[in-house]
Amino acid sequence: MAVSERISGSHTVGRFKSTGVRQREIKRFFTALLYLLPSLILFSTFTFIPLIRTIGLSTYLTNPLGIAVKFVGLAQYEKLFSTPVFVNSMQRSLLFVAYTVPTSIIVSLGLALLGNLRLKGISFFRMVFSVTIAVSAATASLIFKYLYHPALGSLNYLLSFLNIDPVPWLTNENTALMAVSLGTVWLQIGLNTVILLAAMQGISEELYESAMIDGANYWHKFRSITIPMLSSTFFFLIVVDMLAAFQAFTQIHVLTSGGPLDSTNVLVFSIYREFYFNGAYGFAAAQAVMLFLIMLALTVFQFGVLEKKVFYD
Amino acid sequence: MKGSKQVFVLLSALLVLSMVLSACTPAATPTAEPAAPQVAPTQPVVVEEPTATAVPAAAGVTKMTFWHSMGGDIGGKAIPQITNDFNSSQDKCYVVYTYQGTYDDSLNKLKAGLQSGDTPSVIQLFDIATRLMVDLDVAIPVQTYIDKEGYDVSDLEPNVLAYYTVDGQQYSMPFNSSTPMLYYNVDAFKAAGLDPANPPRTWDEFTEAARKLTIKDASGAVTQYGGAFAVYGWFFEQLLAVSGGYYADNENGRSGLATKATFNSPEGVAILDWWKAMYDEGILANYGRTTVDTRSAFIAGQTAMILESTAALRGLMDSSAGKFEIGTAFLPRPNEAAFDISGTVIGGGSVWMIKDRPQAEQDCAWEFIKFLASPEQQAYWQTMSGYFPIRKAAYENQLSVDWRAKYPQFQTAIDQLHAAPNNRFTQGGLIGVFPTARQTIEGAIEEVLAGKGTSQEVLDKAAETVTLAIEEYNISMGLTP
Amino acid sequence: MDYKLKRILTSTVFYIVLMVVAVIVLFPIWTAINISFLDDSQVAQYPPQLFPTHFSLANYARALEQAPLLRYLFNSVAQSTLVMLGQLVTACLAAYAFAFIDFKWRNVLFLIFLATLMIPWEATIIPNYLLIKKLKWDNTFQGLAIPFMATGFGTFLLRQFFLKIPKELHDAAVMDGCSSFRFLLTIVLPLARPALGTLAVYSFLQTYNQYLWPLLITNDQTMRTVQIGIALLQDEERFMFNTVMAGVVFVLLPTFILFIFSNRQLIRGLTAGAVKG
Repeated sequence: MAVSERISGSHTVGRFKSTGVRQREIKRFFTALLYLLPSLILFSTFTFIPLIRTIGLSTYLTNPLGIAVKFVGLAQYEKLFSTPVFVNSMQRSLLFVAYTVPTSIIVSLGLALLGNLRLKGISFFRMVFSVTIAVSAATASLIFKYLYHPALGSLNYLLSFLNIDPVPWLTNENTALMAVSLGTVWLQIGLNTVILLAAMQGISEELYESAMIDGANYWHKFRSITIPMLSSTFFFLIVVDMLAAFQAFTQIHVLTSGGPLDSTNVLVFSIYREFYFNGAYGFAAAQAVMLFLIMLALTVFQFGVLEKKVFYD
Repeated sequence: MKGSKQVFVLLSALLVLSMVLSACTPAATPTAEPAAPQVAPTQPVVVEEPTATAVPAAAGVTKMTFWHSMGGDIGGKAIPQITNDFNSSQDKCYVVYTYQGTYDDSLNKLKAGLQSGDTPSVIQLFDIATRLMVDLDVAIPVQTYIDKEGYDVSDLEPNVLAYYTVDGQQYSMPFNSSTPMLYYNVDAFKAAGLDPANPPRTWDEFTEAARKLTIKDASGAVTQYGGAFAVYGWFFEQLLAVSGGYYADNENGRSGLATKATFNSPEGVAILDWWKAMYDEGILANYGRTTVDTRSAFIAGQTAMILESTAALRGLMDSSAGKFEIGTAFLPRPNEAAFDISGTVIGGGSVWMIKDRPQAEQDCAWEFIKFLASPEQQAYWQTMSGYFPIRKAAYENQLSVDWRAKYPQFQTAIDQLHAAPNNRFTQGGLIGVFPTARQTIEGAIEEVLAGKGTSQEVLDKAAETVTLAIEEYNISMGLTP
Repeated sequence: MDYKLKRILTSTVFYIVLMVVAVIVLFPIWTAINISFLDDSQVAQYPPQLFPTHFSLANYARALEQAPLLRYLFNSVAQSTLVMLGQLVTACLAAYAFAFIDFKWRNVLFLIFLATLMIPWEATIIPNYLLIKKLKWDNTFQGLAIPFMATGFGTFLLRQFFLKIPKELHDAAVMDGCSSFRFLLTIVLPLARPALGTLAVYSFLQTYNQYLWPLLITNDQTMRTVQIGIALLQDEERFMFNTVMAGVVFVLLPTFILFIFSNRQLIRGLTAGAVKG
């Protein structure tokens, strides 16, 4: 049944929607819903209902216990755009995404390509290249806190052998975000490399063999086979890494706490500050809603534009 | 264990449910043994029985909870030791201690807990939560019990008590108290031709010493800075207090409800001007906001003078052992005259009794608080933590005597405390949004150091931010001056 | 001969590159291990020591003395395992629907799943805490685990893998009267093993990494988790990098073991031929 539908891959829309087709459509919808049900129940309970509450809270002035005391309409949002803090945080978040997402994907691609070489003992290197998947953000941040340490840090010590002056990694507003990004990239390459390596293993050997017969060199094979065959993986990584970068919190919390000069005060950290530290729940809620909307818009855009170019078969 | 069994049941139920509901052919053969990792939930996770701190089962024992925020040896050894001692010292109350993360974590957990009944009997909070706790009206002032019992407070340090006294009532019991001091490298002083017995007392002297202590290598790079201050709002607050400046209006919010920030006064501006001038001259280093980093630089010999809490003394002594000798002095003042008008503000934390607990627990909480404040415990606490005792009798305890013999530098902290007059300057600012204010000041210090504006401009802006926060706070709490 | 020489030369170059890259990637981890073996005065000196001079477990002993890390470790592993299993189940089911079933509002529902990745944790943590308290799930494993058992990330990851499985396989199987659920279990899942492995490791770690949630919903020492233990090692006034790093290494060990054991699953994958049938 329904083989033709699957092959055409399109939704059965059209003028000739017989009752049979409609019934099947309804049945498919409910079958799908059953598969989605466990997730949907959990998401509604623990994610969406709280989110609705947060949206509500963003229209109130709250007391330090987080209880709404006075309806203020959109005043919290007006405050957002009238204070330089929010604009700065948005810019910082976008910069952080721009620093980390492309870098970690490109570095991971390089690592995955190296890991895909046919050499003896390569599986050891694959393991090494993906090792940071086993490191949590909290532990990695503590390690980088030491590496970047202004007085003891071994990074500056190693750089001194290359005759490079000590870098004020986390204490200067021009370098702090980059330093945090560097740690984040290191943390992220593990997962990205694992996913890319797994995807590379899935590329049919025959494709490369027939290209060999056509006399293609490495670069050519890379461009015309590897990259297109990895497009769905890249798409996945871009979306997921971007969302993760917008939500990156632990490394900022441990390494810089948003400073110096708010240079690492990305949105999710600014929300934390207002919410956790300043007890300004309503204001924090308004920022959270804005962050959500920004990510949603970017994701919809990515699906609209990028996924069309993805090659799934 | 109960918890995991329920999870297991739920997981399996989910799995079975989805199996039953999604079969597309009615007579689908029961699923064959699948090879996928998914089958794993059918193997129950074995969870061992928790080995909880044994609560005496005896009848008539009241169990109460104590939330604290101490890490390292203090949280890992001293707190358990003190609580165990309390538990074995009597048979009516049993205290269970729980580490609740940083002070901020703990405060937030308390806030959330107040809405769900998950509250401790006693909680340790930082000094700057005082006004908030008073306004939230969730604590029983210890004064209630002091009055009821006629508890003698005359032995307690008056300056310490003054901080935690609001509107004539002592709200919480000081527990871990500290003030900032100047720490200096005695060996570096000698090498620079400075007299280690006469450390700088005023800002000018400090600048002078820092200049002499700064060492540059052949290429002109600094190998030892004269001094370093962590960008820590607490230091600003202290420097403001010793200058005779108010942090907030209505005499630091002590004579009436604070309505605006006043740290952008000439006294406040002078602090940042001094700080900035040394930084620009290259004799004062900036290692960022984390005090740990500045401390490490001091230990590594990269800077010769730092400001630090008295509580850091033991750690600094231990890690500098065998490298150089450490000297301590009073926090430097803007001028000699300032020594007479003001002094440092008490820092650290205190313990609060939470209201919505049963009477028996509250009574136990008071017993526990008295125990914490007793001379023996305060002496032990001093030796373990480096905070100073909150009462004079503790100094006579042998533990304290031995400890001060081993760390004579600690005497400075005690002298500084006793030298400070008890007035509105040294009682410190009392505002409900202190964490916000502190963090705003830290941003301001960074701005001044980076040359984003003059000290006056930057502090004006910061004061405006904090004033706005105070106003919103007052509205949301329904407070009117 | 020339050809052979060239091959040896290229592989030597490759090995050198591999080694250099490996050293760079491993350097931070080495740093943590190294520091955990330094004594108090060594860790506070500059230039820093890049290799330990002696093998001493003193810092580990101190870390274990300050925080009951073993017990915390057990709790974290239990919590993370539960979340991992839960996520594997929910994500497999959901991804299957998104990849193989053509249904109305599929894209909208998929976006809703993705939207869960966009909600800052601050927006949900307090309401969830209050809910868990109401259910009396505080201080329990279900309180620690159940809120995290559904995953937008995992659903997306598995969907991408499932989409690569030829749909003909699905249709043929369904035509043969195989239930779609059985198709998922017997055909899809074995093929998607690398993706499942990735999700397993990832979800385990995300959970293992949690700090605020366990801090909020547990009071009982016996239900606390490792990141709280690491925090407990950090004394503001006497921060010791060596003790903290000993704790860090201790906490890293289980995830490394998990990683090494699952590594084969993750990366070996399946040959393309098998996928294409």
